[in-house]
Amino acid sequence: MTAVLPWVTLVVCLAVTVARIPSALRGENRVVFYIFSLISLSIFISIEAPYLVLDSWLGGMNIGNLILRFLLYTTFFLMGIKIATAFGSSSAVRAIRGPVGLTVAAIVAVLTVYFFVITDTQGSSAGMSGLRWGPSLEAYAFMGRFYPGFVAACLVPAIWRTVVSPAPVLLRVASALLLLGLCLLLLSQFFPLIPFSEAWLRVLINYSAAMSTCIGLAGIWFSKAYARRKRRLSA
Amino acid sequence: MPLQSKAFQRWLHGVAPDASTADVCRIAGIKRTTLAQQLVRGKVAESTLVSISRGFHINPVQALSTFDLYSELRGDPVPPTGCELVSQVATIDLLRAVVERSEPGSAAAAPLSEPPHPTSVRNWVDAIDDGELRHRVSDATGIAPQNFSAHLTANRLPPELAIATSRAAGVGPAGGLVAGGLITEAEAGWPPNARQEALDRMSQSALVTLAGERLLALGKTLRRQEQDHERTERIWENLG
Repeated sequence: MTAVLPWVTLVVCLAVTVARIPSALRGENRVVFYIFSLISLSIFISIEAPYLVLDSWLGGMNIGNLILRFLLYTTFFLMGIKIATAFGSSSAVRAIRGPVGLTVAAIVAVLTVYFFVITDTQGSSAGMSGLRWGPSLEAYAFMGRFYPGFVAACLVPAIWRTVVSPAPVLLRVASALLLLGLCLLLLSQFFPLIPFSEAWLRVLINYSAAMSTCIGLAGIWFSKAYARRKRRLSA
Repeated sequence: MPLQSKAFQRWLHGVAPDASTADVCRIAGIKRTTLAQQLVRGKVAESTLVSISRGFHINPVQALSTFDLYSELRGDPVPPTGCELVSQVATIDLLRAVVERSEPGSAAAAPLSEPPHPTSVRNWVDAIDDGELRHRVSDATGIAPQNFSAHLTANRLPPELAIATSRAAGVGPAGGLVAGGLITEAEAGWPPNARQEALDRMSQSALVTLAGERLLALGKTLRRQEQDHERTERIWENLG
């Protein structure tokens, strides 16, 4: 199942991205389209077969993985600001885009590059799982999990308030899915506790997080379209 | 807990011995699947019984009273108190009454709209509350006070809770059923003009004060709704 899950996730994200093209062309919420594109691209690169091809172009020393990390950082930065604004949490917007958030992002970015450089990363492998894992690679992987986790932690309270509010049911369900995705990212902070033999569990958590975040975001969009249509029909 | 389906079927057999389920549903204007589902689950909603009673021209209150849970409804209807009657006047009708009282003849007197209105349940409970009512209801039924409040906010009153509330307040058992929208005031045995007369009996000061309280509560509700609406719209605007 863990071999199929990444592809299924990719298909779902791509489908949502394609579905957003018309509204992006009309100029409605282009950032959301960019977010979905970035998520799709990140997932595409993270899957073994495309990853190996891409990385071989880049010299076979896992620079592809470094690119993936920065794609994810960008995605979460944009997504964090957009979601925090949407859910009306000015404190979360400040935490992500304010001095604290930018400092965290800068430190994570610098340390990610630093740990990548001091590690021997020869030999392409998806998720760098084929390399010899030392402290520097652990630290590199930690950075990659930490920033998404940081953004997720900023967003959870505001989304939770919407899930338990008297908002339209579809919107609450979609928000709950989004919340689930973000909580899985928080859970992923504990990855070092998962033994190497149970690597499938990491795959499961990572892609489930991506999938439910993506479906949740798409669901919010759908709930809006549904509410508008219902209003038009009743008018 | 709604009506046991066994007792319900016994009652239905007494009411319409020859009618098929399909006939009953057609006459009562309810969905067959709804009734079937309720029967299978073993619990039939009071509203189903009321619809069927109306379809067969039986007083729903009398029909309900044949069930043990609603035995208090047996006998002659207890007349509603003045407060209960006024509580079932819609806020907009109350405001019209204020205008009419202040400037007689300025507006044509329209008949009062039928209960329930959008805040019927809370108004009814407020009208019969001596300050301790909620505690007594929660002691008697085991319902948590916050759940009771949630019902009031949602303008919902499950029939069983309505009966328990009127018992705890010492008023007639049918008032809560009217406020909750299960039965009409006529079915509850309220005289046709009772609400209008109760309104007319109020002094101008009492009328204006009550209208003020209603407006204050309405303002609060509207503000909350507007905030919820704004929150939803902001999410859609940013992510939709």
